[in-house]
Amino acid sequence: MANVLIDGLKERIANAIKVNQSIGILLPGSNYSDLLQALFEHIESKTEEAWVYVSVTKPYDTLVKQYEYLADAKNVKFIDCISRAAGILRTDENCVYIESPTMLEKLGLEIINTFKEVKENTKKYLVIDSLSNLIVYNDPDIVTEFFYHIVNRTRAKDIHTISLAIEEEGLEKHLNRLVYLNDKILKVRDSFI
Amino acid sequence: MQEEERLMVNGNLCKTGIEELDIQLGGGIPTGSTVLVVGSSGSGKTTLCMQFLINAANQGERGVFFTITEPLFKLTKNMEGFSFYDKKLIESGMVNLIDLRIISERLGLDTEKYTVEDASALLDILRDIADELNVKRLIIDSITALCYRLQTPEMIRDFIFKLGSSLAAMKCTTLLTSEVPPMTFQYSQYGIEEFISDGIMFLGDFERKGDLIRTFQLVKMRGAAHSRTKSAMSISSKNGVELAPLLKSRE
Repeated sequence: MANVLIDGLKERIANAIKVNQSIGILLPGSNYSDLLQALFEHIESKTEEAWVYVSVTKPYDTLVKQYEYLADAKNVKFIDCISRAAGILRTDENCVYIESPTMLEKLGLEIINTFKEVKENTKKYLVIDSLSNLIVYNDPDIVTEFFYHIVNRTRAKDIHTISLAIEEEGLEKHLNRLVYLNDKILKVRDSFI
Repeated sequence: MQEEERLMVNGNLCKTGIEELDIQLGGGIPTGSTVLVVGSSGSGKTTLCMQFLINAANQGERGVFFTITEPLFKLTKNMEGFSFYDKKLIESGMVNLIDLRIISERLGLDTEKYTVEDASALLDILRDIADELNVKRLIIDSITALCYRLQTPEMIRDFIFKLGSSLAAMKCTTLLTSEVPPMTFQYSQYGIEEFISDGIMFLGDFERKGDLIRTFQLVKMRGAAHSRTKSAMSISSKNGVELAPLLKSRE
């Protein structure tokens, strides 16, 4: 069942990304790890592309332990927004650490700086994992403003944004407003796959 | 295009080499200006000034950094952590680091208290060094610490105006750092420094969810069509000082 779900997700992600638009993926918490696996398998298969993965959900170290191939992956760089705030001090060649998920301007700078190192004519993708967790640490209005800036700046630089939003009670209003800033919305439901 | 010309836009603008700052300045600081870089302790004044000098030196423009707040070994040790810092530029004399306290000692001055004559002698020495080294950029870190050694408000006032005239005559682009208490919006300790300045850069911070966010604002820059928008400022070992749009939604 899990494989069917992941394969279905991979197919949907691959199809959504093809259109080169910013994509919002709205999903229930129960599907989060499946989506992550599908996303990382997709990234792993696209060695010629450049990906930047912003994690506000899990520390880089945890992600690498879970998906070992990420540690040596040359086509994906990470920006970890939570390790420092949790008192985890480490340095990794493949990861930029932000002091706190409230440092949104710094996060924006690091996203752009990381993409500056990518060769021209490479397809560039940004993953924000997740908008819902950014709202946990920040005022929803400021997250909206941040996301609006990011979507516009990345669009101008031909970077395609994929933002995850995990459905949570009480956050629907804010998440809907955020997710609808994207060109395309992918709603993940068990029954759809 | 010659290396030196690359730093100049429209003939008389002096690029800082900090991309977003140059955009905010409309190209750069008008050459020959004296700019006050205001901020509290830890706001990034020294780093910004050093980056300004190093970026210029990398393009073939010589500069001098006069410090009175910290010994040179401490200054260089702090700077070594930044990737923009290049020791070779110091060794080659493209960037000159001078401890004003050592100069004072050599002149036989009391390093803690200056008389009118002492201050005047120090100004002469500053000018001579700048002339001799043929520098285009000059930093004094800090004007506050320099004035602190003067005994009366009248002496401070007189010194600052003489300094202003000297700097104007030198034709180099000068950054003077000014120390202010944290979380305040004042430009100087003595209330006079801003009047001899052609420009003011204000480095501040504010609290967001318990974290301190650095900010940068160009308050004034004579002769430049500059932005007055408040930006977020980041300091990292990899990129030094960087500016980004400040998110302004209510907290």
